[in-house]
Amino acid sequence: MLRYAASRLLRAILTIWIAVTVTFFLLRLLPADPTLLVVEGDMTPEMQEALRSQYGLDKPILQQYVLYLGQLVQGNLGVSFRQLVPVADLLLSRLPWTLLLAGSAFVLTLLVGIPLGVYAAVGRGGLVDRGVQFFGITSNALFIPSVAILLLVVFGSNLGWFPIGQAIDPDTRGLAAYASLLHHLALPLFSLVLVQLGPYALTLRTNMVEVLGEDYITSARSRGLTQRRVVWRHALRNAVLPALMLMGLQLGTLIGGAVLTETVFAYPGVGRLIFESVQQLDYPVLQGAFVVLAVTVVLANLVTDLLSMVLNPRIRT
Amino acid sequence: MNGKIGRVRATSAALIVAAMVTATGCSLNEGGGDTSDAGSGSGEQSGGATLRIGTTTDVENFNPLQSLSKTDSWILNATYPTLLRIDGNAQKVPELAEEYTTEADGSIVVFHLRDDFVWTDGTPVTATDVAFTAQSIMDYQLGNVAAKLTWVENIEVRDEQTVAFHLSEPYAPFAEGVGFWMRIVPEHIFSEAGDLSQFANDSDWVGAGAYVLDSATPGQRYTLKANENYPHAPEGGAAVETVEYVVYPDVNTMILALRNGDIDLMGTPVPVSAVASLEGDENIAIETVESLGFAHLTYNMQHPVLADQAVRQALSMVVDTESIIETILQGDGQQMTGPIAPIFADYDNTELQPYPFDPAGARSLLESAGYADADGDGMFDELQFEVVCDQSNANLTRVAEVVRDSAAEAGIQLNLACIERNTFLSRTREGDYDIDLSQWGVFDNPMDQLRSTYLSSNPGGINYNLVQDPELDALVNDAAVTADPEAFVEKIKGIDAYVHDQALLTPLYVEDFRFAYRGDRFAGFDPSPSDLLGMVTGFSLSQVEQVD
Repeated sequence: MLRYAASRLLRAILTIWIAVTVTFFLLRLLPADPTLLVVEGDMTPEMQEALRSQYGLDKPILQQYVLYLGQLVQGNLGVSFRQLVPVADLLLSRLPWTLLLAGSAFVLTLLVGIPLGVYAAVGRGGLVDRGVQFFGITSNALFIPSVAILLLVVFGSNLGWFPIGQAIDPDTRGLAAYASLLHHLALPLFSLVLVQLGPYALTLRTNMVEVLGEDYITSARSRGLTQRRVVWRHALRNAVLPALMLMGLQLGTLIGGAVLTETVFAYPGVGRLIFESVQQLDYPVLQGAFVVLAVTVVLANLVTDLLSMVLNPRIRT
Repeated sequence: MNGKIGRVRATSAALIVAAMVTATGCSLNEGGGDTSDAGSGSGEQSGGATLRIGTTTDVENFNPLQSLSKTDSWILNATYPTLLRIDGNAQKVPELAEEYTTEADGSIVVFHLRDDFVWTDGTPVTATDVAFTAQSIMDYQLGNVAAKLTWVENIEVRDEQTVAFHLSEPYAPFAEGVGFWMRIVPEHIFSEAGDLSQFANDSDWVGAGAYVLDSATPGQRYTLKANENYPHAPEGGAAVETVEYVVYPDVNTMILALRNGDIDLMGTPVPVSAVASLEGDENIAIETVESLGFAHLTYNMQHPVLADQAVRQALSMVVDTESIIETILQGDGQQMTGPIAPIFADYDNTELQPYPFDPAGARSLLESAGYADADGDGMFDELQFEVVCDQSNANLTRVAEVVRDSAAEAGIQLNLACIERNTFLSRTREGDYDIDLSQWGVFDNPMDQLRSTYLSSNPGGINYNLVQDPELDALVNDAAVTADPEAFVEKIKGIDAYVHDQALLTPLYVEDFRFAYRGDRFAGFDPSPSDLLGMVTGFSLSQVEQVD
């Protein structure tokens, strides 16, 4: 079991290193030069040279890479080209919002998705089941920005139920601040959950249907256990495993979705920071953001792996 | 069994929620994420009105000596005063400087400052601040102002209100360029900041403009407070006490926010396609503002075929600017002839005739210039050019298609490469194009424009024609040292006519910008041309009144 955990951990570190390296070189493969974007119009060659050396872009690329890795190992993410402040500070001011949005979407998807999948499987062919199947396929095809704009127009602009953009009203204090936080969170959260929920419920339903046909379920039933007990105790445990793995994998998509959601809903977060930094070719910020996201996704997968190890004794050997 | 799953699930859910609450909750509006001046939290209610402006992006850089992005400039121009400002007619008018004079045939430029500008920490704004700002920009080669100070040999502080720039040679628009572009910073603060090329200036702002930055919540909002000592505010002080820039990266969301009343003014111009729908909203007023730049096709003179004047003239004849303005800009633009925009009325060559839209005429011009269609496919054999443009500019990508189709009628094949913005900028910088389809942002005076765009030495790096023409160089250099205003105007007009005849570029249009705001809440903006200045200059905001 320890060996299993150790190999997972090693794999996680390797994944992060690959992500860091690919990001580093990918950015430098872009055809544009970040110094050109600082001054639009009049820029003397001397100015450009000064900026290149200030950014450390005048050194050979391999040397830049080694320097960067050295920094990273010490936990230093570097300084933003444009904002001249440490990247870690920028990320820390934005990360909580992304965690709040993606995290609550994650939890809500589980809370709603599991019962939905279970009810669909149990009442196979029934109304709930057909609903889940239809919704599962439709929501898989939804494009977040379009959903977002639709929600904004209907619930924000036309009905006026929700504010348009931003994460909180700065003039609120105490409980009112929390209420304002939730009020602003509602639409972006809803659009993320809408997109995630369908595929999740559908997967769970399929697993559940399969598990419900297994012999041990039949035998549990024949022992006279209640339907409720059979479904929620015996079947769900096995059905939820693959669904849990799926959720771990989908966390990456969820964060990717948060980038678009944050942009359309004007919600502050790492996603928007990435969006803006791409336009400015602010390499240190982009590298830092991708490192943090890679670590988050890898950690989430590590946790899912370890969780399934606990849940499924067969993996332990 | 069930207990185990339940526990795991409940525990992980609880952990996530707890993490989220601690991460965000504990600093809810308590100033944890803000950088703010002590004692003036953004939440305090005050007597004056709050005007909320939509901006598209966060502040990239708070250092006014460096920052050049349009959206940063909105905030920093309000905070840090300039010597001159641009009024609604594109004229330079006094701001911090009362006036400027020249000595020694224009080789000394003297600014005379007002004595009633005060930094928000109570220190008066003096000539020392101006001299310090200019010297720092030259020492560290900062921003686009460094190029405007090229001629300065030394700076002399004559007294508290007088500062003289000694130039290596006279340069006619020196005072206008420096006066408008250079944001003055407080010497007593910035001289303590060390290396100014590394100075982030991201908290505790001390300004002297109409509105001074007070707090910043990255990703969300930037709050400015009215400077009660701002001398150009109306009597009794500005009605708007607080200006809040709220970030909306998506312009469609920003439009919804305006309609919904979440913001009062869009800092960004309304896209042509959205104007009609906003005009129908009774709460929303729309103001039209002219541009200080223009859209153009610029020809790479290093290309062997484009170096031929007849080819460039023929290309100018396949561009139907009237219909482009009518259809693509929905009428919100002006035609122009020659490289100088009509807003600079003093320099406008009214006798210059635009090239007529005449593809058939273009074809015969090319035939008489010796171009042939050997394979008989209707296209001239040698005339194939690549047009690069920035795909994020929706108007220009449409222009590209229209021009390509009419060029084909004249037998010229244009291949379009409308590409991602950063790649586009990089290619234009490197001269990697045949024809550049783009839009100049802001030229505050024609002399600077002609110098930057046509001198062979390419001092500003924006000679996108890559033209090396000794005759044009001589004309530009001669005009630059002309001190007599009338002779100066004549020389500029001469260059305008020369460039037009050479057809170095085909001007497409001067776009009018439409700015939308809540007319049911505010009125009295005093806009300046361009989307850099627009409705949101400190001066304009200080004139705004609240509607009851």
